[in-house]
Amino acid sequence: MNKHKIETWSIFLFLTFFTLLTIYPAIRIISISLRTDNAFQTKSLAFIERSESFRDENGNGVWDKGEPFDDDNHNGRRDAGSGFKAYFELFTKTDFPRWAWNSFFVTLMVTLTGVLLASTSGYALSRFQFRGKQFTMLSLLTTQMFPATMLLLPFFILLSKLGLINSYLGLIIIYSSTALPFCIWQMKGYYDTIPVSLEESARLDGCSRFTAFYRIILPLSSPALVITALFSFMASWNEYVVANIILQDPDLYTLPLGLKSFQASLSTQWGLYSAGAVVVSIPVTILFISLAKYLVSGLTMGSVKG
Amino acid sequence: MYRPGLFDFMKSGLRILFACFLVIAALTAVADAKTRIHIWHQMLYENRKALREMCDRYEARHPDIEISLLYRETEELRSNYQSAAMGGSGPELIYGPSDQVGPFSTMGIIKPLDDIFKPEFFARFVDNAVVRYKGRIWMIGDVMGNHLMLLYNRNLVKSPPENTDEMIRIGQELTRDLNGDGKIDQYGLVWNFTEPFFFAPWVGGFGSWLITDDGQPNLDTEAMVSAFTFIKSLRDKYKIIPKESDYEIANAMFKTGAAAMIINGDWSLGDYEGVVDFGITRIPKVSATGLWPTPMVSTKGYSINVNVTGDLLDKCADVIRYLTSDEVQYYYASKLNMQPSSIAALKSSAVTENEELRESAKSIEVGRPMPVQPEMRAIWDALRTQYQAVLGGEKSPEEAARLSQLNAEKQIRDMNDILDPGPSVILIKWILPLLLIILTAFYRKQIVLFFREFHQQKFAYYMLLPAVIGIFSVVIFPFLFNIMLSLSNFSLRTFQNWQLVGFQHYREVLTEARFYGILLKTIIWTVVNIVFHVTLGVFLAVLINRTLPAKKTLRTLMIIPWALPQYITALTWRGMFNQEYGSINLILGRLFHLSPIQWLSQPFEAFSACIITNIWLGFPFMMVIALGGLQSIPRELYEAARVDGASRFQQFRKITVPMLKPVMIPAIVLGIVWTFNNINVVWLVSNAGEPSDQTHILVSYVYKAAFNLYRYGYGAALSMVIFLILLIFGIFFMKKTKATGTVL
Repeated sequence: MNKHKIETWSIFLFLTFFTLLTIYPAIRIISISLRTDNAFQTKSLAFIERSESFRDENGNGVWDKGEPFDDDNHNGRRDAGSGFKAYFELFTKTDFPRWAWNSFFVTLMVTLTGVLLASTSGYALSRFQFRGKQFTMLSLLTTQMFPATMLLLPFFILLSKLGLINSYLGLIIIYSSTALPFCIWQMKGYYDTIPVSLEESARLDGCSRFTAFYRIILPLSSPALVITALFSFMASWNEYVVANIILQDPDLYTLPLGLKSFQASLSTQWGLYSAGAVVVSIPVTILFISLAKYLVSGLTMGSVKG
Repeated sequence: MYRPGLFDFMKSGLRILFACFLVIAALTAVADAKTRIHIWHQMLYENRKALREMCDRYEARHPDIEISLLYRETEELRSNYQSAAMGGSGPELIYGPSDQVGPFSTMGIIKPLDDIFKPEFFARFVDNAVVRYKGRIWMIGDVMGNHLMLLYNRNLVKSPPENTDEMIRIGQELTRDLNGDGKIDQYGLVWNFTEPFFFAPWVGGFGSWLITDDGQPNLDTEAMVSAFTFIKSLRDKYKIIPKESDYEIANAMFKTGAAAMIINGDWSLGDYEGVVDFGITRIPKVSATGLWPTPMVSTKGYSINVNVTGDLLDKCADVIRYLTSDEVQYYYASKLNMQPSSIAALKSSAVTENEELRESAKSIEVGRPMPVQPEMRAIWDALRTQYQAVLGGEKSPEEAARLSQLNAEKQIRDMNDILDPGPSVILIKWILPLLLIILTAFYRKQIVLFFREFHQQKFAYYMLLPAVIGIFSVVIFPFLFNIMLSLSNFSLRTFQNWQLVGFQHYREVLTEARFYGILLKTIIWTVVNIVFHVTLGVFLAVLINRTLPAKKTLRTLMIIPWALPQYITALTWRGMFNQEYGSINLILGRLFHLSPIQWLSQPFEAFSACIITNIWLGFPFMMVIALGGLQSIPRELYEAARVDGASRFQQFRKITVPMLKPVMIPAIVLGIVWTFNNINVVWLVSNAGEPSDQTHILVSYVYKAAFNLYRYGYGAALSMVIFLILLIFGIFFMKKTKATGTVL
């Protein structure tokens, strides 16, 4: 083995180790969701706990391969078992499917609005020199500086005056707007890397400004559009605080609100909660995984691309 | 690069968008003929189902009424209801614990019930179920209880302790190392002892109480000192309770038999049913005084929104009559083991023949009613801080008792303070409009030019305007409103009639030593986080940006912390940091034989725990940005450097760093702003600032001041200060690094 190979493999091992550390908490959530006794705490580090509850009628354990059961604590009680009970209950006995549909609808709207608005305004900021441009760019950053929690009370008052409490419209407007500043910055950064000459030649061929943007530049910016969509998606899919003040009808609940309803200050349905958490995380994780390559190529933040 | 699929999807997406807006508009237009009565409540999971059943019964008898139920966790119920009632809306009925009566009636957002019901109606209930405050009746309870008791595992405890000496003796017998590894596997007693509510009964047991009848704090007492000392001795001298325990852990330990006794409330009984063979008894008599500890007993019940009038009010009153009726209470008693509040229901066989209810009633006998005064919140808060400091060994019991009294008095003063308009009001009222006029005049030219050029640059403006209007309409009004709040005396006692008072809140913020302490902590929080995010991110990006086996998989897996919802991961980390049950200490113990670190009960460790969590959450973002930057660096540069004999480190310093800089700086600026204002992690990991409010950063402190202690004006001023700090930093940093050159 040459020196280069040793280096590659040692880096690989290090990174594998680090990755395991990184995903450990995620694994932990899955493991909690598989317990049957609604407990958040356990001393066991095992991913799936051995238990009697998974023995079949002949007494053969499913997980423990027929090993005799150890009463570790000598207290006559068996340790928590595991299973998919919480998942089953989540889909059959709670409103989870409805929340999922609501969340899906709101998130789709927010993502579409976000992509539409960020792609156009990013373009204007990238290609044109106009009065107030500097000011606009800076104030976009400024909007991120205010502690969002203090905006809640005014938000509520504003929305109730406009009659937007208990409506998705209010929610969609707020979500789109919170994700926008970052998305606009990011779209502008990407447009900056596309040579102006492309539109210029299109314009010479008789395209209107908008057609040039729509037919030439936008298709070229797919990676950045994907990132914008992803960020808008995240802003809405995972959001709890704003939804909490706007949605007061359980039929309208989005996923985070629904999940929170399993939590009470002194009595949480941990099984349902973590099973729900796992299910909620799946779409986001799949999106991230399938879009990982765009994340690297599309998230430019003002870099200069060849 | 051209991707027709994605692009076409976007086009059709736009059509769907408009179609959907139309559908929403159409759906909201459908009218509803029934009278809808909304109830907001905070009932536990099982109880919610019973309440729904009862409401269904009512709806069947009254076809014109529809009852809609909404669950909110207790604290959120309170703050949401406050905002809603202030905005003139909210549910017709609100259900909750009796201590919300104090703040709600002071704010004027619930109706006095003695105008609506006849005295005969109230006479049907036990005295404590009719909640009075300042001479009026505000709430009518349907259950009694919420009180703490001693529960014991019958397999381990044969006869329950009568007094604390016995409790300690039994506790010591049952605190054991079962498998001989030198660690304790079973404790005699466990409970959520760090939380003041779970500590309060002992104060009564030592012969005193937290609050006087006229609502003054009563914390600097002999009894308080003895109670502090007693709890500490249980942990440190007799060692019958674990070092660190919150509610969840205590619960899990009792369920799995890892604790023989637990102090817990009546709400938990259903949770243990069929899991543990348990008995119920009073919290044991304090041997030193011969007194029973006094658990707080409260009722939960219904109040009516102040905005309800006329015909609707009668209907609401009827719903309350039904939901507190004997019929409903029998059902709760038999199904949920709830202690009824009606005198008739208490005498029924459903109650007297139910062993659990009988035993639990014995604890109610020695209990004290939960104080309803709004001041109680300040007392809890002051007590929590000092009590946790005693447990952490930072303060002596005497000092803590004295300080908790002082702090409670101060907080009550702050809470009840109604600021009078100062001279600066005139200044504000005149100067602000004047400033606006001057600014307009000053920028007259620019504004005129703007409209003139609008035509020339029409295309750019049209592209930009929708987004800008969206963002600013969402941000500008709340922002201006917040400025107004910060200059006003908006607080508990001025909820309905606040006015502008001037710059007092700003002066208060800037002259408090506390503010600078927290600011320093916030800066440490931000700097440490960003340094780790960036170095870790860049380091990993450099490592991974080469030919590696399974490179894509590794890269993708490392992004996962970014993808998962923060409210879920932060709570998971909190669980992982637990001293005895958290996987971090378990792993550290197994691998390195470290003694368990008290992550969540020591200020420094708790703050570190928050930082570790946030580093985990934040590094993938920086890694991805750095990766993007690295890929744009031409390979030839490195080759040329290698030919010139540059070492790896030199290559990194002379090529990688300068080429990455323009990419990283905007990301760092954003990262700093986001980290500075990240309330989620601190709030969830440290459980709202525990221990002793020492893990706060500025945003979490604002949240606490505004929403927990009703000091909205003060909170608004503090948030303006935060905003200005970040603004000044942002401008300075951008100028210094010339980031504007690459971004703008």
